[in-house]
Amino acid sequence: MIEISNLTFDYPGHRALNDVTLTVPSGSVTALVGPNGAGKTTLLRCIAGLETPLTGSIKVAGMDVIEQPREVHRIMGYLSDFFGLYQDLTVARCLEFAAASQGLPNADIPAAIERTAQRLDLTDRLQQTSGSLSRGLRQRVAIGQAIIHQPKMVLLDEPASGLDPEARASLAALFRQLQADGMTLLVSSHILAELDEYSTHMLALREGRILENRELKPAHLPDAPRHLHLELAQPDARLPEWLKAYAQVALKGASEGHAEFDLQGDLHAQAALLKALIHEGFAVSSLAEHKENLQESYLRTVAAHEESRQ
Amino acid sequence: MSNPEFRRNLWLSFSPHRLIGMPALLALTFTAVALANSGDQVANGLYAASTSIFIFIVWLWGARNANATIVDELRDKTWDQQRMSALDPWAMTWGKLFGSTSFNWYGGLMCVAVIAASGYAADKTDVITTLLSLCAVGVLLHAALIALNLHSAQFQSRFVQRGGMGWLVIILVFMVLPPFTINQTTPILWWGMETERALFWLDSAVLFAACATFAAWRVVSNALQVRTLPWAWPAFACILAVYFTGFVSGSGLHTLLLTGLFVAVTMTYAALLTEPSTLVRWHKLRLLQQKEDWRGWLEHLPLWPTTLALAFLFAILGMLAPGEGGLEQGHMDFLRPQHGLAIALMLLRDACVLLFFAFSPNSKRAVGTAILYLVVLNMLLPFLAGVAGLNTLRYFFLPFEAAHDPWSSVLIMTIHAAIAIGLVNWRLRTAGQQ
Repeated sequence: MIEISNLTFDYPGHRALNDVTLTVPSGSVTALVGPNGAGKTTLLRCIAGLETPLTGSIKVAGMDVIEQPREVHRIMGYLSDFFGLYQDLTVARCLEFAAASQGLPNADIPAAIERTAQRLDLTDRLQQTSGSLSRGLRQRVAIGQAIIHQPKMVLLDEPASGLDPEARASLAALFRQLQADGMTLLVSSHILAELDEYSTHMLALREGRILENRELKPAHLPDAPRHLHLELAQPDARLPEWLKAYAQVALKGASEGHAEFDLQGDLHAQAALLKALIHEGFAVSSLAEHKENLQESYLRTVAAHEESRQ
Repeated sequence: MSNPEFRRNLWLSFSPHRLIGMPALLALTFTAVALANSGDQVANGLYAASTSIFIFIVWLWGARNANATIVDELRDKTWDQQRMSALDPWAMTWGKLFGSTSFNWYGGLMCVAVIAASGYAADKTDVITTLLSLCAVGVLLHAALIALNLHSAQFQSRFVQRGGMGWLVIILVFMVLPPFTINQTTPILWWGMETERALFWLDSAVLFAACATFAAWRVVSNALQVRTLPWAWPAFACILAVYFTGFVSGSGLHTLLLTGLFVAVTMTYAALLTEPSTLVRWHKLRLLQQKEDWRGWLEHLPLWPTTLALAFLFAILGMLAPGEGGLEQGHMDFLRPQHGLAIALMLLRDACVLLFFAFSPNSKRAVGTAILYLVVLNMLLPFLAGVAGLNTLRYFFLPFEAAHDPWSSVLIMTIHAAIAIGLVNWRLRTAGQQ
């Protein structure tokens, strides 16, 4: 969906993006992560065609953003980190203006408003002015404006900042729904826990460079190794060697009372391993799969990057 | 209504209360004026009152609203949403131009009806011409403010965000507002043609309203990332040169070229001081030049080099044109054609001085610093040298005197410009090493 090559962007006295090359696959939800000042907002603004980079090219759905920004805007929605709303307009009119200015035919606009309001749970608020809404509701209206024309690609810059936990949960559900509808989402945040629930890919930026751009591990692939943690109630010196010898285990780390390893196989293989451990006399208190969350994944990437620099 | 921007502005501008309030208030005011006058004076009173109210509603209040249409978008952070819309630049321009001032035009049109009726009743001449001029100046003001605010928005200055540009334009307009207040009937002589005064001001107002609307469209295009080639700015300089030269009696080619030079110089300074000249932009231009992407290079070129080039063109043509050269009358008759080239070189030097500060690592106050140094260079130092009796030194700072060979002024300004170019080069080299 997005192809970026050799993108460099300078602010006076500061290089915000440095030779960035990346692709974002269609239908993905990519978490754009990195510390403050990493270049996340600049990257989103360049993709949205709101900033002109120093060098490089950006293509969205095959269209060059720099050459054809207006055409790209028709298939794109963007929520800025410091978004604004027309305070004196009702929610319905905010949505109507967004739909019309994105080129939706007049006949389709009422249905688009209804659909978007339902998606964002704004149906009861349509006649309220946007200036009278709470922060969370205003955020929802702004997201509604970005998606009302059912774009193929949605860019969201810190969409959950300032939202309460309940609103964040409903936002996560909305993003999953948008992905299910075939939209590609690029969501920036430095609060990784909120991205963890719906992201399929992670794009880590630091100092204007890409640290990592990869697919997060799919949860239910049958052939994928399962990362397991084993705890013993009674430490046993035989544990590391025994696990090493077990055919389906790839040991990551072990002590007398604890082990971390990848197990090739499904839940039946895990049950067989547990049975073998108990049969061998190990006092197993816990054997559970450990799923690496986005925060751990990001921190591991940062640590690897720091290590490679030393 | 197919223009969403216009429709949005209508939503914001009109309410049932306002829709009824405006005609009610105007009706009450005009009734009061009619009752305050008697007999033949009723029509005259209504004509004067409706003209004044039109100026207040459309010019002043409308200018405030046109100013706010950009300032509010920037302040309320809705401008990004506008830039992300699929509206084409022209739709957005006219949507803003006539949408933000729709309520003013609503009241203004009622005034127009009263002006027309009372004007004919009072046997006023040029009623239609006056009406059209009033409307054209309204459009001119509104479009100019949209263009100026968007152009200056690149600076993200507090002056612009607080709507300062609106007040600046309003003050300027009322400073140069003779046609509607001076009741003269003498015709205007322009390029040797005698034209009725009211008709001439109408033509002028329509011309500049069209230019301002075109400028607003161009600036909106750039804001929407629709790139344009930089021909409009120098073309406007040429229009102004022809327009102003027409007022000089017996004007010929030399007067035209000299006026063109001064217009180009003024417009170059205006662009220099209102466009951000950053090192990033310079790098972008250099990269496009290396890629031989000349269209891209022209699209990213700031405005000021175009009128700087025009200034050199006018100066060189002034030297090549047959005849004596210079202005044949007035207090500038000492100017020889070579002085035109020296003025263009001075402009180049001043542009380089600004770039020198703009390319520095701490360039936040580049414009202010450059202005300060230019005042010192162009005014304070020549004045001090003159007071101290160092006339040669004074001539070195400001080489425009009838007593000297005009070629010496070209030589001195070439030295100034060469030093300034050297400073910019040094700044670029040191910036490249960092």
